Amino acid sequence: MAAIILSSRRKGLREKLSQLHWPLIVMLTLIALAGVATLYSAAGGSWQPWAMKHGLRFAVSVVMMIGIGLVSMRYWVSLAYPIYFVALGALALVPLIGEVNMGAQRWIEVGGMQFQPSELMKIGLVLGLARYYQGLRAEQVSHILHLIPPLLMIGAPVGLVFIQPDLGTAMLLGATGVIMVFLAGLSWRIGFLGLLGAVGAGYSAYRFEFLKPYQVERILTFLNPDRDPLGQGYHLLQSKIGLGSGGLEGKGYMMGTQSQLKFLPEMQTDFIFTIFGEEFGFIGAMALLLLYLTVILTGINIALRAKTHFARMTAMGVVATFSLYVLINTGMVMGLFPVVGVPLPLVSYGGTVMVTIMAGFGLVMSAHMSREQEALGRLS
Amino acid sequence: MRVNSHDPERQEVLSRRAVLFGGGLSLVFTAIAGRLYQLQIIDHDKYVKLALDNQFNKRVLTPLRGEIVDRFGKSLASNRNNFRLLFVPDQTRNAASALKEISKYISLPEDRQDRILREIKRRGPYTPIEIESNLSWDEFSRINYELPYLPGVLPDVGETRDYPFGPAAAFVVGYVGAVTEADLDAPSNKGQETLLRQPGFKVGREGLERTYDKDLRGKAGEMEVKVNAYGRVIEELTDQATPPQQGATLALTIDVELQVAAMRALEGESAAAVVLDVQTGDVLVLASTPSFDPNAFNVGISPELWKSLNENPYKPLLNKPLSAVYPPGSTFKTISAIAAQVSGVKPSFKVNCPGRLWYGNRFFHCWRHEGHGVLDMRGAIKHSCDVYFYTLAESLDVDVIADVARKLGLGQTFELGIPGQKKGVIPDRQWKREYYGGTPNATWFQGETLSVVIGQGSVTATPLQLAVQAARIATGVEVRPRIVRVWGDKELPAPTATPIDLNPSYFDVVRAGMDAVVNESGGTAGRARMADPAWRLAGKTGTSQVYQISNEDRAKGLTKPEDLPWARRDHALFICFAPVDNPRYACAVVVEHGIGGAKMAAPKAQQIMTAVTQKNPSAMTPFDPRAVANNPTAERRG
Repeated sequence: MAAIILSSRRKGLREKLSQLHWPLIVMLTLIALAGVATLYSAAGGSWQPWAMKHGLRFAVSVVMMIGIGLVSMRYWVSLAYPIYFVALGALALVPLIGEVNMGAQRWIEVGGMQFQPSELMKIGLVLGLARYYQGLRAEQVSHILHLIPPLLMIGAPVGLVFIQPDLGTAMLLGATGVIMVFLAGLSWRIGFLGLLGAVGAGYSAYRFEFLKPYQVERILTFLNPDRDPLGQGYHLLQSKIGLGSGGLEGKGYMMGTQSQLKFLPEMQTDFIFTIFGEEFGFIGAMALLLLYLTVILTGINIALRAKTHFARMTAMGVVATFSLYVLINTGMVMGLFPVVGVPLPLVSYGGTVMVTIMAGFGLVMSAHMSREQEALGRLS
Repeated sequence: MRVNSHDPERQEVLSRRAVLFGGGLSLVFTAIAGRLYQLQIIDHDKYVKLALDNQFNKRVLTPLRGEIVDRFGKSLASNRNNFRLLFVPDQTRNAASALKEISKYISLPEDRQDRILREIKRRGPYTPIEIESNLSWDEFSRINYELPYLPGVLPDVGETRDYPFGPAAAFVVGYVGAVTEADLDAPSNKGQETLLRQPGFKVGREGLERTYDKDLRGKAGEMEVKVNAYGRVIEELTDQATPPQQGATLALTIDVELQVAAMRALEGESAAAVVLDVQTGDVLVLASTPSFDPNAFNVGISPELWKSLNENPYKPLLNKPLSAVYPPGSTFKTISAIAAQVSGVKPSFKVNCPGRLWYGNRFFHCWRHEGHGVLDMRGAIKHSCDVYFYTLAESLDVDVIADVARKLGLGQTFELGIPGQKKGVIPDRQWKREYYGGTPNATWFQGETLSVVIGQGSVTATPLQLAVQAARIATGVEVRPRIVRVWGDKELPAPTATPIDLNPSYFDVVRAGMDAVVNESGGTAGRARMADPAWRLAGKTGTSQVYQISNEDRAKGLTKPEDLPWARRDHALFICFAPVDNPRYACAVVVEHGIGGAKMAAPKAQQIMTAVTQKNPSAMTPFDPRAVANNPTAERRG
């Protein structure tokens, strides 16, 4: 990779570094630092077992993101389909050689390292769809023949992840794919009909009682075993208590009773926003949400200015994935969405998601660099 | 790339849609912010309350059980420190090895360790588990000294019931026991379940502990504690606690000093003694031997001890003064004498006793085979002449006898508050009809009256009833025994002196006869004579047959009762009161299989009455716990 970076355009590394979108890096770092601080508090004021690791992982991930960003978009175009199909192949291998963990097969081992193909697919799907739409004209997007390949490209990984079973990731992949098809210019008519069809199918399944309530309950529990072990929405209630009791200004750093007394379940992963909101209050939680929104809008801005359709689609796909993570997680801990087990990106403890997110922002950075290259090229 | 990457239409669509997407996202963010506002600002107070409910638990503070004290404030049942060891598995690396370490200092057998480990598995690592209780001070202090090397051990001082007089007052006070599921389900315990579930909480199982359990239990207090999600206590908030209220003190009529004296007098026998204050009905002594140590029940009785208590022929678990019935024997002649007068026989009525009387188809023998000669009623009581009473019985109606017996306190239970009282049997026509309903035996035969007048046949009575009988003969008043004077702020009303519904003059000959029994030469119980003439004692002996020596036995050489096995020997009884001219105390003594009332029961009664009259407790002011409660500096112990 270093060779590619150095050889590209014969430009000095230092010059290239200066062209990076540093405000984006600073914002991502601020979010990750919020994560480190919250994990330190969640451990009762200790770097172990989460805060230290989280910080180190982010440091490594930032370097990786910059590395990916320095690789020209030209290379990513040619790597897009290979990455997608490697991810798809790995996903297909999971049921055969995967590790069973907490009732679900998600991991496979490659060269002694554990690796989650569904995470690679989050990048692979974005790249694959962007690559596909790079080759279509605007009027072709809504043509039925040109709709089949992207639907297959989305459907195959979603299905494979769904049977692992990992409902949260399957939904995330599906939603990202649909958003990208919409961004590519799917006609409103088809989009509306598709939406109507999906809602109709879901409603009739419910209306005609193809599934009895207890069956729905069982399926949901099967798809997400740690959904609600204590019953009666215990997790969600404790989370709402944490946020609500935080009030306007919060209980103060390391003073959150819900987290310090361990009433919050999974607090270092899915429910970390609750700790943050409990200790820093409405003001702190809003600040973090605005930081996320700013990152998302910055990403859209970068996408809009990118040189190629591929770069624009890729950046938008990454932004969509990131947005979905943030919205589903925060909506979940507040009781707006069902508890599906989606982490808060860069704040929740957990290495694979951080790598995925930062790799995605590497692609966004690369899209940003492609614009700079164009501008510089014109000047020279 | 086939397609021009600068397709302007495509870019325009994407830009429009991206802006649309960004706008949509901002809207969703606004919704999330709105939800956050609702949770953190609008509903803040509600969630603060819920968070507090999470962290703060109400902990029940167990009240001290009320004390039971005797007539002069001496403690019969109180509470003492219970040195116990709790164990918190969470504070150890390995619970099993920690228990092994503890077993170096206190006895903790392996099977007990296994049981504790199983309990830890069941209750989780944060719940303290009681691993040993009722440790001696030595053991407890040794553990405290070694505490730094014993992880997980939490020494704790609890309270447990203590019976300072042990066996002496066991049958009065009763004992407490662990709470059972039946207790928790009982409707009377509704609303008290939390208190009952406290570790080590005990409820009254027998005696007054059982009857007055509600009064003794007291009122639970409350304290808030801060807990984590696993229920582990982080902090106790003592300043907001409501303290528990100790249960009511029960002040009894019993004089424990005299009780101990009576127990000593009866020691070695299977026997019962009751002493009453005839003017108030106060039960001063309620003794039963052999007894048991209620402290053993409190701590948890061993199966070996339980077995030996149950198999002992002297029945140490039987509350003999109240729950055992005996044929009253010749003590019943006092009743027969009154019944005869009710039927018109004058005390001057004379009978010649030749030693036996022919009735129906057989001889009825007098206990004195050579006969008593000519006796009037007083003489018949003095000598306990059977033939005199057989002669009366020939023309006596059994229903009249039964009526007099009931008026004198037999065949009934009294409101004492001690469970398990027996009524005994006072036979009459109706009793026989009901008992033998439908059979030819259902009609009364006059021959049976001959057995009844000497207190044999079906007649049975408890020692308490016999004491009441003595008291009623002494006073002519319906003496009602009582044992709890004061409980909490309540008090028994002063006894009312209702005269017995019999002509008072009927009692004169009985009292004179009983006086003669003890104090005239030739009386049957000269051994009961008091040393102090001011406490001149009147009494009546009784020897009730348990087994009739048969001709076969005589053939084998068994002629004297001493030759019989213990369980077939006659019961020895004695009832008495003193002083004769202005009675104050009455007493009944029953010695099971003691062979002769005069030989076994009368001397013991004399011994007990001597102790009673020497102290004369009725002349002293009894202890009032309410006075102590109002004036804390007052002397507690009388």
